[in-house]
Amino acid sequence: MSQFPLISVMTFLPLLGVVLLFFVPKQSHSAQRGLALLVALATFVVSLPIVTGFQSNAEFQFVEKVPWIAAGPFQMNYHVAIDGISIWLVILTTFIMPIAILSTWTAVENKVKEYMICLLLLEVGMLGAFVSLDLFLFYIFWEVMLIPMYFIIGIWGGKNKIYAAVKFFIYTMVGSLLMLIALVVLYFKGGAGDFSVLRFYDLALDPATQTWLFLAFALAFAIKVPMFPLHTWLPDAHTEAPTAGSVILAAVLLKMGTYGFVRFAMPLFPDATAQFTPLIAVLSVIGIVYAALVAMVQEDVKKLVAYSSVAHLGYVMLGVFALNQQGLSGGMLQMLNHGVSTGALFLIVGFIYERRHTRLITDFGGLAKQMPIFATIFMIVTLSSIGLPGTNGFVGEFLILIGSYESELRWYAVIGTSGVILAAVYMLWMFQRVMFGELNNPKNQTLTDLNAREIVIMLPLLVLIFVMGVYPTPFIDKMSPSLEKLIVHVKSKQTAKAQIPQIPAPQALPAAVLPVEHK
Amino acid sequence: MTTTELWTLIPLLILACGSVLVLMLGAIVPGRCGTAIGVAACAGTALWALLAPPQPMAPPTLGVTFTPFARFFLAFFAVTAGLSLLLAHDHAARQGLKGEEYPATVLFGAFGMGVVASAANFLTLFLGLEALTFAFYILVAYDHNRPASGEAGLKYLLMGAVSAAFVAFGIALLYGATGTLEIGRAVAASAAGGGIALAGWGLLLAGLAFKISLAPAHLWTPDIYQGGPTPVVAFLASGSKGAAIALFLLILPPLGGIGPLRAPLWGLAFLSMTVGNLAALLQPNVKRMLAYSSVAQMGYVALALLSGGRGYEAAAFYAVAYGAMGLAAFGALASLEGETPLEQVDDLRGLGYHRPFQGVVLAVAMLALAGIPPTVGFAGKFAIFFAALKGGEAPLAIIGILTAAASAYYYLRVVVNLYMKQADEAGSRQRPTVAEALSLGIAALAIIILGIWPGPLFDLAAAILL
Repeated sequence: MSQFPLISVMTFLPLLGVVLLFFVPKQSHSAQRGLALLVALATFVVSLPIVTGFQSNAEFQFVEKVPWIAAGPFQMNYHVAIDGISIWLVILTTFIMPIAILSTWTAVENKVKEYMICLLLLEVGMLGAFVSLDLFLFYIFWEVMLIPMYFIIGIWGGKNKIYAAVKFFIYTMVGSLLMLIALVVLYFKGGAGDFSVLRFYDLALDPATQTWLFLAFALAFAIKVPMFPLHTWLPDAHTEAPTAGSVILAAVLLKMGTYGFVRFAMPLFPDATAQFTPLIAVLSVIGIVYAALVAMVQEDVKKLVAYSSVAHLGYVMLGVFALNQQGLSGGMLQMLNHGVSTGALFLIVGFIYERRHTRLITDFGGLAKQMPIFATIFMIVTLSSIGLPGTNGFVGEFLILIGSYESELRWYAVIGTSGVILAAVYMLWMFQRVMFGELNNPKNQTLTDLNAREIVIMLPLLVLIFVMGVYPTPFIDKMSPSLEKLIVHVKSKQTAKAQIPQIPAPQALPAAVLPVEHK
Repeated sequence: MTTTELWTLIPLLILACGSVLVLMLGAIVPGRCGTAIGVAACAGTALWALLAPPQPMAPPTLGVTFTPFARFFLAFFAVTAGLSLLLAHDHAARQGLKGEEYPATVLFGAFGMGVVASAANFLTLFLGLEALTFAFYILVAYDHNRPASGEAGLKYLLMGAVSAAFVAFGIALLYGATGTLEIGRAVAASAAGGGIALAGWGLLLAGLAFKISLAPAHLWTPDIYQGGPTPVVAFLASGSKGAAIALFLLILPPLGGIGPLRAPLWGLAFLSMTVGNLAALLQPNVKRMLAYSSVAQMGYVALALLSGGRGYEAAAFYAVAYGAMGLAAFGALASLEGETPLEQVDDLRGLGYHRPFQGVVLAVAMLALAGIPPTVGFAGKFAIFFAALKGGEAPLAIIGILTAAASAYYYLRVVVNLYMKQADEAGSRQRPTVAEALSLGIAALAIIILGIWPGPLFDLAAAILL
């Protein structure tokens, strides 16, 4: 490959920012913020040619493949590329980062330099994970994301920050370590070669092996999504994290889980995917309904939004596992939508928290009179979050429900639909209690409306909400060839579907993971 | 003495003569040039081990060889000893520990380690092992201002004597069963030897389990780590553990299949990984916590040894990895200690901001010990679990990886204290001196660089074990 290494430049550009930040004097906070913002914006600009240069087909593009570790017991490549599945997630990441950096412009006054370093390192990890086609490389980036996020929550978080940070770390770590084992087993099954996921796609694994490997991968991804009942770290992490942390967590990090299913767990283990689809669907639907019910009774706005995340991601999982064109594109689109809408919601929560230093719903009321611009923006985002037609949320949810209704998951879709109503209930009820009613709390009577910076942050998100709601075709068009290929791949390889799959007894484990001798 | 013999012995001679020279100069010009001579001797040994042209095999009567294996570990031990000396220099001054005996004994310990790694027969092996253990008897008890140090020294002496007896008796039985002391031949012959050889292996394993502190023979470790002067503990963790791993790597591969040793080694690995990690979870004393962590880390090494084949390479890699992590962790603690030792994890509160350099090094060491990429700890663990799965040790690998996940909690506790809590009193802890900064910087860089680019070291580990 002699062409310009666009993906590498994009992925590691934030790292350059980190290096530059080391040389900025400790006291000049605005220089640090400005530099970080500049780097994040530059990364966004660099990432744009990926969209314009992307051919709408199912192939991997902008491929870069360089031998990395070819020694000792294994061989890894630095192998990165973009396809229809990752393209928008990459853009979402580069798009949300400048917004996240701007969002804590004034909220973080302490250790600004370290904060910006963490944010930029996080961006490297996220972008790297989305573009990696080498499983080992993916794993490295996957874990690299963990540390900056852990620091962001743990250092700049709220009251219970340490508890939330450690919980976040341990949950993710447990899942990913089992994935590491599965990854090694997969490598043995593949015979001599590298860790390229494309090579593993073509493996014909027996269903028993697939079951175990799928479970290991799925645990890692399900924790990240997070799926019920593994979601308990999320409300803590979200509530304690500073605004930028919450925004990134919601907009990008959670997508790592669903992306992992689409990119790795499903195509690698098609039989196991078929076998576990009912279970995943059940958990997704439980997630949708349960999280909605829990969100309804939350006192804390941020917690409410966090639980709404769990519900939204339940939809994504339902759509993805419907495994048809509508469901998958709905799921992928909903990932983006959730990134935009929930990211925006966390920004909004951040705005009022910065003003009042409370997030309790009961502390507010009647804010609409005091902050009309804020009220308008909040309303639009709320409607987008509950999926009002004309906003982005509608397209995604609609496609998911159609897709899953047409698949084997019909009845799950029916139950899942109730989540739409519940979402409207908890979001609108919260909106009503915060924004309408009497402005009787004296502290709220002096609140100022959004300033220029805050409006600038929200504008791109608002534009996207409408663009993606009214004209989602360009987004879907770029994705659909890759998704079609994925569906064909997974369905054609589902061999054991006819028979009733059985989970092998635990003693089958050693047999399942015994290595295949290299030829 | 032929030239071949001389050339074979030169790296060991440099260390031994360096040690004697430091002692004698102490009598003539008492000052503090011991460290300088010691570091020079270490650097000389390392360079010689790495750069000297390959030598023809020395005659077996010499008892030591200069194989690639010996060269690799000689260089490693010399580097760890040199870095430990740099750490000890200013630390000793702060804690009021005088005398040339300190650097001289460190050099003598490195000499013992070098002898272990280059041993060709069981007798020199045993002598090397005893030489290094004797050095540590002295070093651990060196801090005469603190009773804990003397207590630790006594405990180490008693435990060490017991384990030495086990090792010696095991070697004697192997000799009895096979009729030769030459390691390669004796080990190969013992595979066919009956009950006596088996008993010999059992005793050897028990003795070595003490040295490498595998549970349930780990009980001395927390006390020694807590009581000993911290730079000594850094050397103990990196060098002495490395020597024990080298010893295993000398005697296990010629055995072919691991055979009847599998069951006891399995049990040791299992117990070490679980007991070490669980005991560290709630340990408030940071040095004791790291001691339990080292028990767990050696459990992973035992898992690698158990797996054979690629596992031996992984173990050699992990010796270096753990060396770098141990030096960084204990070195950072040592450089923070003023007159009073740093005991509790709580004492680290907020130090990440007040002492940023040591804070970063300590945090990097903790994340590496927890096995987070892109650090050498991850590369090493990956190689170990890779080898374990390949060797068919899947259940133990899964147990290991689950305990590794649990271990993240206590490693993170250090990071939490460094960065997420407020310091009570600022500025009571030391800033790093130049020597300490150099030593810590090298260790931390090794952790990161070998983590991102582990290929060459893996190649090397594979090459020395051929």
